[in-house]
Amino acid sequence: MIGIQLAGNLTQGLILGGVYGMATMGLSLIFGVLGVVNVGHGAFIMIGAFTTLLLFTQLGLSPIIAIPVALVIGMALGFFFYYTVIIRLTEAPELASLLATFAIGTLLEESVKFTIGTEFRGYNWDVGKISLHITTLPMSKIYAFVGSILIALLLYLWFSKTRAGTAVRAVMQDRKGAGVCGVNVNWIYALSFAIGIGLTVTSGVLLTMFIPVGINPYMGGAYTLKAFVIAVLGGLASPYGAFFGGLIFGLIENGTYTLFALVPSLEPFAMTRFLSFLILLLILLIKPTGLLRAK
Amino acid sequence: MSSKIARYYPLIPVYAAYLILFLIGRNVTGMWQLMAMLVFYCAIGQAFNIFLGMTGYVDFGYVAFMGIGTYGMALSISHLYQIEGLGMWVILIGAVLAILMSGALSVAVGAVALRLRGAYFAIATIGVNEGFRFLIEGAKIWGGSEGIIFSGQFTHIFGRKTASLISTTWADIFVILVACLGAFVTLRFMLGKIGYALMALREDEDAAKVMGINVTKYKIIAFITSASLVGLVAAFAWGLKLTYLFPDEIFDISYTVECIIIVLLGGAGTLLGPVAGALIYGLSKYWLTIILPGFQLLIFAPIIIVIVVAFPEGVVGVLKRRVRGTVLEKFIV
Amino acid sequence: MKEYCLKSAIIFMAVFGLLLTTNALAVDKVVLGHPACLSGKFAKAGSQASWGIKACVKWINEVNGGVKIGGKKVPLVYKPYDCESKKEMVTSLIGRLATIEKVHGIIAAYSSGLTLTGAPVAEKYGIPYLSQGGASNRIFQQGFQYAVQVLSPATLYQAGAVDMLRKADPSAKRMALAFEDSEFARMVLRGAEKHAKELGFKIVFNRTYPKHVNDLTPLLSDLKAAKPEIILGGGHFPDGQLFARQMSDLDINVKALSMIVAVTLPAFREALGAKTEGIVGPAQWEFGVKYSPAAAKKVGVPWFGPTNEEFVKLAKEFSGGKTPDYHAAEAGAAPLVFVKAVELANSVEPDKIRAAFNKMDLMTFFGEFKINPDTGLQTRHSMVVVQWQGGKKVIVWPEEAATGKLYYPMPTFAEKAKGKVAVPR
Repeated sequence: MIGIQLAGNLTQGLILGGVYGMATMGLSLIFGVLGVVNVGHGAFIMIGAFTTLLLFTQLGLSPIIAIPVALVIGMALGFFFYYTVIIRLTEAPELASLLATFAIGTLLEESVKFTIGTEFRGYNWDVGKISLHITTLPMSKIYAFVGSILIALLLYLWFSKTRAGTAVRAVMQDRKGAGVCGVNVNWIYALSFAIGIGLTVTSGVLLTMFIPVGINPYMGGAYTLKAFVIAVLGGLASPYGAFFGGLIFGLIENGTYTLFALVPSLEPFAMTRFLSFLILLLILLIKPTGLLRAK
Repeated sequence: MSSKIARYYPLIPVYAAYLILFLIGRNVTGMWQLMAMLVFYCAIGQAFNIFLGMTGYVDFGYVAFMGIGTYGMALSISHLYQIEGLGMWVILIGAVLAILMSGALSVAVGAVALRLRGAYFAIATIGVNEGFRFLIEGAKIWGGSEGIIFSGQFTHIFGRKTASLISTTWADIFVILVACLGAFVTLRFMLGKIGYALMALREDEDAAKVMGINVTKYKIIAFITSASLVGLVAAFAWGLKLTYLFPDEIFDISYTVECIIIVLLGGAGTLLGPVAGALIYGLSKYWLTIILPGFQLLIFAPIIIVIVVAFPEGVVGVLKRRVRGTVLEKFIV
Repeated sequence: MKEYCLKSAIIFMAVFGLLLTTNALAVDKVVLGHPACLSGKFAKAGSQASWGIKACVKWINEVNGGVKIGGKKVPLVYKPYDCESKKEMVTSLIGRLATIEKVHGIIAAYSSGLTLTGAPVAEKYGIPYLSQGGASNRIFQQGFQYAVQVLSPATLYQAGAVDMLRKADPSAKRMALAFEDSEFARMVLRGAEKHAKELGFKIVFNRTYPKHVNDLTPLLSDLKAAKPEIILGGGHFPDGQLFARQMSDLDINVKALSMIVAVTLPAFREALGAKTEGIVGPAQWEFGVKYSPAAAKKVGVPWFGPTNEEFVKLAKEFSGGKTPDYHAAEAGAAPLVFVKAVELANSVEPDKIRAAFNKMDLMTFFGEFKINPDTGLQTRHSMVVVQWQGGKKVIVWPEEAATGKLYYPMPTFAEKAKGKVAVPR
């Protein structure tokens, strides 16, 4: 009995983990290239969620169409905030960039609050369900999972096959060296920041395909904290690491719930979160470069 | 002799600010609670500045120390209230417990997280705060997420009149005293060996190490001092003043952000900075809530961005440059 | 010398007389303060509350002609500040309200936590403190002298639903409880658990989930395995929405699902559509509830305030056309009972107002009002139970307030997807 529940939860966890991983790639990319931790990460996820919601409820467009729209909106926001704010902070101490990205997040949240309101919204995109022996999966969750993998794959191809992608990797490894070799570092910063934000906003679409309710201006906070843990699991500066970090995180979060629930007098949800932060600390201590990096 | 005293001149503007706040609160009707809020911001800013301002390390999970300090006071009152004749001592025990508990947590955090730098340190400290809170809620420690409501027990000890006087007046006065202590400690650190060591660390940690400075030792001293001070502030401002606690409210990360804003606004690493930052932040926030209810965050966010980008050294940082070479130089540090 | 004495006596008398008259004249308005949650985490319930209050204040001033005190009517002034849903702001704003605005009563901020935050400050200044969004019973166990609860306490939230389900299905046994781990929901859980056991239900699943949860799948998988017939749960709005949605995702079908808070809000239907069919939930108030001057006469208590229709119409003036929900109603009831207490006391002195509250037994559009004289806990107000039937909320319990019949058992999610509605024939 417990075995079936565990298997069911692990399946759900794997799928959620894929989406989580995708939702963290942007954070890792930005940190890897610019050395800036985007504390306003969750607010961009929220923008993606609202994009999906509005396209679906106002124009009747499917969330699949919201993916490219979100990417464009995200990249536009990314370029805008890079050239107005972030460009002045890449050499500043952490304090400045942490506070500035936090303020950007707050600005987005409050702007959405004043234009759309604080209601918790949701939408109904019913495209069927699959019943497995161990659990039931709505098709929308499966689309979200597949979408996450495809986007991660596309990013991988872009990194390895294109000139710009190669330049980004060069800057990640050695920004001075890349500059000497004729890479326009400032442009690479701008591009990486825009792609990072674009990915994050897109992940907001995928997250609402997974959980199509609870969409409101302040929804991002919880995802920011989760993204930090996932990013650290994957090595903080590595976008693919983040994707796999997400898978592991999803498995831990859902899988251990059933186990913690076996112990009476524990609150299993809180314990799974405690565990995830404990793992974060352990990794930072033992292997700050993440679980997946050889070096 | 006089030069030794002169070194402490910078305390004058800080203490003058607290005195003025206190007098306004006492004598102008309706100002006491506002004054209490401003002093609370001053006090947490001052405590936060001891670590962040001097080392440049951003502790994003700083609110954990405030949370555990509140628990110190709450546990003392809710466990000892039945002991007859303890009276005021219960508050002292609570305060000591708050210092010990926040100090102990900071030793634990410091021993592990202070090995990390920059963003890694910031994220690790967030992890500590969240992890600690979820441990309390998940394992149901100290009442778990039910928190501790001890208003009734507090009234039981002191009687209705005194209890209400303590939580609405004395708790705030204690916060002022801790804020004064914080300013003094900050200046002592700045003048002493630790200040120079930490300044070297802030400029270049590796170089400081090579120079033979025991960087880790000074970092930990500053960390523990800062944590115990803020634990004490919270024990009074949250524990004694509100007489209840819920873990998700006292481990709320937005208070760390407020600390950062205050310190950065005023000028990190300066003595007067946190006071200036807290006054600007607290007052503008207060008036905005009254004049434009609901809009304050929308107005604040772009202002913060502008400040971070345009003058990252803060109000006092700018002021310090301006008064260089004048008589005021001695007073503004 | 004699002249001097006389002179001073006259001056003394004059000054004293002036003092007396100014004292009497001083009550030229009654002021009600409110640290409102217009932004921050309770912004939604907080703005509803402010519409409700403004509506009732308007009714008092325009229809009632003000507050009757000392034989004449004076206006009621409402002073709200935004507390950002934060505790520092609540204490300092109450301090300001008490001293600068010199309010005669304070309406507490939304939520049990913030109501507790403000209570010691209100207590210090000795100002009547009306809890309109603080349902937790623990607030009223702390010995506060000026705290008065307008709404039903949390432990009674699910009592009506449990009674109703027992009556609808005497054979149902297996019950699951899954509530949010917040002060309010825990109290609801405790009350529900006790009451359900008394009525012979077997609790087969009993768990909480944290606030701000964004995935309930693991909990719901375990819940499904426990095979309950009836589920009681909820906490606030977002988790309730998530709960129902993910029950549908996992295809968990039960005979009845009763959830607090979320079910009663129109946004629940907007977000979930047909999935909400047949879900029931307790409400402090619901539009259409049969509290009226006639109903008051029937139970033999005085009526005060606007009727349900009048309230909704007034509230819409302030909400920009949005329908008020029970957060607006419970808050709107606060100025009504306060004004009644002031009129009864014929004074704005706090102790007299507080004493008047103890004597009050009254019905408003929100329901009945009577408190425990020692603690201030609400004892008379009763909850109603609503059910989503064919896209509309229908009051199904208590029977005397009901506008329709309960549909039982709830259709399965598969049936709902095919368009089955929970309208009883």
